[in-house]
Amino acid sequence: MAARIPDQSSESLGGSGFLDRQHTIASRDYNRFLVPPAALAVHLSIGQAYAFSTFNLPLTKLLGVSQSAPGDWKLAQVGWIFSIGILFLGASAAVFGHWVERVGPRRAMFTAALCFGGGFFVSAVGIHLHQIWLLYLGYGVLGGCGLGIGYISPVSTLIKWFPDRPGMATGMAIMGFGGGALIAAPLSLLLMEHFKSAASNGVLETFVAMGAIYLLFIMIGALVVRIPPADWKPAGWTAPTQPKKLVTSAHVDVDTAWRTPQFWLLWGVLCMNVTAGIGVLGQASPMIQEMFSGRVSPAGAAGFVGLLSLFNMGGRFFWASISDYIGRKNTYFVFFLLGIVLYAAVPTIGRLGSVSLFVAAFVVILSMYGGGFATIPAYLRDMFGTMHVGAIHGRLLTAWSAAGVLGPVLVNYIRQFQIDSGVPKAQAYSVTMYIMCGMLFIGFLCNAAIRAVEERHHYREAMQGSQTG
Amino acid sequence: MKVRMTILWLVVGIPLAWGVAKTLQNALKLFQ
Repeated sequence: MAARIPDQSSESLGGSGFLDRQHTIASRDYNRFLVPPAALAVHLSIGQAYAFSTFNLPLTKLLGVSQSAPGDWKLAQVGWIFSIGILFLGASAAVFGHWVERVGPRRAMFTAALCFGGGFFVSAVGIHLHQIWLLYLGYGVLGGCGLGIGYISPVSTLIKWFPDRPGMATGMAIMGFGGGALIAAPLSLLLMEHFKSAASNGVLETFVAMGAIYLLFIMIGALVVRIPPADWKPAGWTAPTQPKKLVTSAHVDVDTAWRTPQFWLLWGVLCMNVTAGIGVLGQASPMIQEMFSGRVSPAGAAGFVGLLSLFNMGGRFFWASISDYIGRKNTYFVFFLLGIVLYAAVPTIGRLGSVSLFVAAFVVILSMYGGGFATIPAYLRDMFGTMHVGAIHGRLLTAWSAAGVLGPVLVNYIRQFQIDSGVPKAQAYSVTMYIMCGMLFIGFLCNAAIRAVEERHHYREAMQGSQTG
Repeated sequence: MKVRMTILWLVVGIPLAWGVAKTLQNALKLFQ
C-alpha cells in the first residue's frame, strides 16, 4: 500500500524555511501511511481537552491542598476555563482555517504545539500566582487556539493523501481526538499523585509536565507530516470514471462555500448530530444512576462514562471508514434513523429495568456521535472539493460550539423542569429523549435536502484545470 | 522508511493502547 510519489524535480523547493509549505512536499520514497500517525500525534494531544474535568476539583484546592480553603477558587470559576477553551477552539478553527490551508500542515501544527503547550505553561504561572485570569488566558484563549488550529491542521492533508479512502483517513485522525481523553484522564491523575506533597496537590507541576509532553508530541507530528505534490495519486488508483451525484471533481472557494445552502445544511446535520450526543455525554453518570437507582454505583457509572468514551473514539474510525463504501449521505441517514429508534426506545428500556440494553443503546448512540465528527470532513470534500476543505471544515466547526451549548442545556433544563413538576427522577429523562428524536429528525431533513453544489459556485481556475487536466 | 513508520506508529499506538486499557478496566466496574 506504499504510495509512490512521481518525480518532483519541477517543484520549487528552494528559498523556503523549514516550516514553509514548499519544504513539506513529500520525496519520492515517502510512504503516505506516515501521515495518519503524524495527525494522530496532534489529535491525541489536543484530545486532552475532553479530560480537563480531572483538574476541576484539584484546582479548587490549591491553597487548602487536601480541601478547599477560604480564598480558593470556586468550581463555577474553574468551569469557565474549559468553556473558554472550547469557545476558542470553534472560533480559531473558523478564523484561521484559511491561513492553515495557505501555510500548510507543518507550520499549522508547529503553531498548535506552541499554543497548546504554551497554554499549559501560562496556566501553570497562573496557578503559581493564584490568578485565575491567567488560566482563562492560558488554557482558555491560547490553548483553545491550539485546539482549533491543531484540529483542522491535518484534515486537508489526509484527504489529499487518501483520495481513495478519505473517510478512513480523516476518521483515523479524528479518532485521536476521542482517544486523547482516554490517555489524558489517567495520565493527569498519575502525574498529580506523583507530584503531590504536603505543600502542593501537584496540579502546578502536572500542568508544566503536560505542557512539555504535548509540545513535544505535537512537534513530532509537525516534523513527520508531508503534503503530496499537486499531481500525485496513489499507486494503481484512478479517479472514478462515472462520477457520483454528490462527489464533485471541482473545487469551491471557502468564501463562496459558506454562502451556499449546502454549507448550512451540513452545519445543521453536524449541529443536530452533535447536540444529540453531547447532552448525554455530559449527563451520562447521573442519568444511569437515576434511571437505575440502587442498581448502578457511582463507580459503575464512571465505568459507563468510560465505555461511552471508548465507543465515541471507535465510532469515529468505524463510521468514517464505512462512509467510504456506502457514501456520506447514507451514513448520516443511518445516524439519524438509528438514533431516533434508539432514543425513542430508551424510556421503555428504563421501564423494563434492563441496564444491559440501556448501555447497548447508548454505546451505539455515542459511536454515531463520534462518527458524525469524523465523517464530516469527507462529506465536505465530496461537496466542495479538496482546495479549501480544511478552511471550510474550520468554519463548519462552529456547529460544534452551538451544539456544545444546546445539548447540555436541553438535557439539564428539561430534566430539572420535569423533576420540579413532580416527575420521579427515573422518568425525568423521557421527554429529553423524545426531544432528541425531534432534533435528529431535523438533522435527517437537512441531510435529505443536500444536493450537489451548483456549477456557478465552482472555483474558476480549478474548473479550467480539471477540464484541461 | 519501514523502521521509521513502525517507530512512529508505536509512538502513537502505545499511549493509546494504555489509555484504552485503563478505560476498559474502569468500564468493567459497571458489570461487577
